[in-house]
Amino acid sequence: MKDLLIVEDDLEMQEFYRNMLNGEPFSVTYVSNGEEGLKKMKEKKYDLVILDIMMENITGDRLFALLRKDRHYKEVPVIMASSLDKETYQCFQALGKVSFLEKPFTKETLISEINKHLQTLT
Amino acid sequence: MLTYNKNTFLNINKIIFASLDIREVYQTMSNELSKTIDFDRLTITLITEDNALYEAFVVLSKTYEYTDIKEGDLYLMKDSLMEKVVQTRSPVIVDDTANSQFATDTVLFKEGIRSRLGYPLVYKGCIMKHQKLFHIDEKKYPIEFKERIIGSINFGSKRKGYYSKKHVDFVSKFAPQLAMAIENTRLFNRIKDAEERYRRVVESSPDIIFECTNEGKFFLINPSVEKILGYSVHYFYDNHGNGLSLCHQDDQDRVQCEILQLLNGEKDSLMDFEFRVIHKQGKVVWLSLEAIPIKQDNKIIGIEGFCRDITERKKLDELKNNLIRDVTHELKTPVAKMEMAIDMYKRSFVTEKELSGEKELHLYHLLQNNVNRLKNIIRNVLDISKLESGVERLNLSDFTFVELVDQVIHELNPIAIQKNNTITHQIPPSIILNADREKIYYLLINVVGNAIKFTDHGKVDISARLTPKGIVVTVKDTGKGLSEESLKYAFDKFYKENSSAPGSGIGLAISKNIVELHNGSIWAESGGKGKGAKFIFRLPIHHL
Repeated sequence: MKDLLIVEDDLEMQEFYRNMLNGEPFSVTYVSNGEEGLKKMKEKKYDLVILDIMMENITGDRLFALLRKDRHYKEVPVIMASSLDKETYQCFQALGKVSFLEKPFTKETLISEINKHLQTLT
Repeated sequence: MLTYNKNTFLNINKIIFASLDIREVYQTMSNELSKTIDFDRLTITLITEDNALYEAFVVLSKTYEYTDIKEGDLYLMKDSLMEKVVQTRSPVIVDDTANSQFATDTVLFKEGIRSRLGYPLVYKGCIMKHQKLFHIDEKKYPIEFKERIIGSINFGSKRKGYYSKKHVDFVSKFAPQLAMAIENTRLFNRIKDAEERYRRVVESSPDIIFECTNEGKFFLINPSVEKILGYSVHYFYDNHGNGLSLCHQDDQDRVQCEILQLLNGEKDSLMDFEFRVIHKQGKVVWLSLEAIPIKQDNKIIGIEGFCRDITERKKLDELKNNLIRDVTHELKTPVAKMEMAIDMYKRSFVTEKELSGEKELHLYHLLQNNVNRLKNIIRNVLDISKLESGVERLNLSDFTFVELVDQVIHELNPIAIQKNNTITHQIPPSIILNADREKIYYLLINVVGNAIKFTDHGKVDISARLTPKGIVVTVKDTGKGLSEESLKYAFDKFYKENSSAPGSGIGLAISKNIVELHNGSIWAESGGKGKGAKFIFRLPIHHL
């Protein structure tokens, strides 16, 4: 089973993730801020990371930049999720390989986005 | 007696061209002349530009302590010896000032001068025309070659009938050189003045004005650089290539690339090129550069231009951007979550109750429609905030206009059909626009969408034509039309003819902003209520 890490500070959003990923063949870990996210990633290497962008202290884009500097996470697929529009997302592309998931999204979109990355991985 | 030889002229010539300090030249010249020619007074008078007056340029009195004729004083040409010299372009001798026809001789007679010799100073060479700075007509070079009389050299003696042809012969041997020296001095002073004016303009500019060579060596930079970057002008004059090393690390490649393109001739100029520089004290300064290459014999030998400090503007832009981003997040997040919740709600009753509840479905549609409406309003409000805050920049590209119109019609056709409207267009396929494609798309969606909104069982037609002022697009409908008052306020934010009219009243305000961002204009026309409306916008065409 693939290990997913979701960094999302909005607990209601977390609930949507849980609902949508319930019963799917992933082992999902949820954390609600950037610091915790970094801690988890040090403990273990995840197969895919989903990052919220607008978070306090360590924002999603900063966390992403830090992640790419870590040799274990150089190639790990990252999905940035936000209610901001695509223009905002374009500035992250310069940082490296990343995909964007615009909120709101449906269960189908979320799962197909995750699978797209996990398939290219194997 | 008048004795002189070759050496006399050699000495005089040497003195004339020895210095650009006029007082010094004439004092030594007067001493040298007095060895040969006897005079009690020597003056050089120069004609003013309009030929109406002349100036006592130099007055040297050998035997007088005091005279009424002062250096720098101006005298009327009329009835003067000067006037006669100019008219005849020949030397004029006055044998006795007591019986003279010239007005000035009354003064000279009182001061004891009895006879005079006036010799014309004819200049053959370059003349610099008076021109206002920045009003230089390039076709007319400010310096031209000319022969003209600029004034006269005058000798005065206490003896009656003293001057004769032999004196005239003597003066004729050095007068042309003297005229040239005087004119050269004046030319030199004018160039100095012009340079001084130019220097003052450059020095007082709040922007950094510079000129540098291909290798980045500065040969001009004004003191503003110290105010803006903390480094004195000497820092730039003494070092090679310092401009680039001061650039922010992340911007160095970009700056180098642009400058190289300018030096290679790939670009004619740089406009509003924004980059960061590190101040002497370490802080980041944003500059906006305008530059052009310096050419000599068709070769590019350097660049010149100016840099404006735009740090404050950049800070403000960043603040505005952050504010807009935060507000966007705050407004969009709850709506996004509502939408996701509605979707889950629908899924639950579809799967569990198998579409049993009509009431549930009705509620679902009600929620969904209102969320969509809220989303549209938020999008519009955010769009107009971005446009009005000035942080929005155009992303220009070339595209075929008719393709964009087809896309807009495709998008809006379902709504048009619902209202029994037909959308047609007459767009020449040859029209290529250089504009922000996404924004023009949005503009058309707004304007055409608006036409559909106010038309039932009718037609909406889009046409375009090229004019010398740009492309003019007309969206014409057969709908409700606009009252005179509505025509006035149609493009105002939140304006609605009445509160029950559909939409948020921002669409046309956004359209106006988009058109104006492209330096275009938009207006509405209508024959009145019930007579349909025309929305027309014009976009300038940059390159075709």
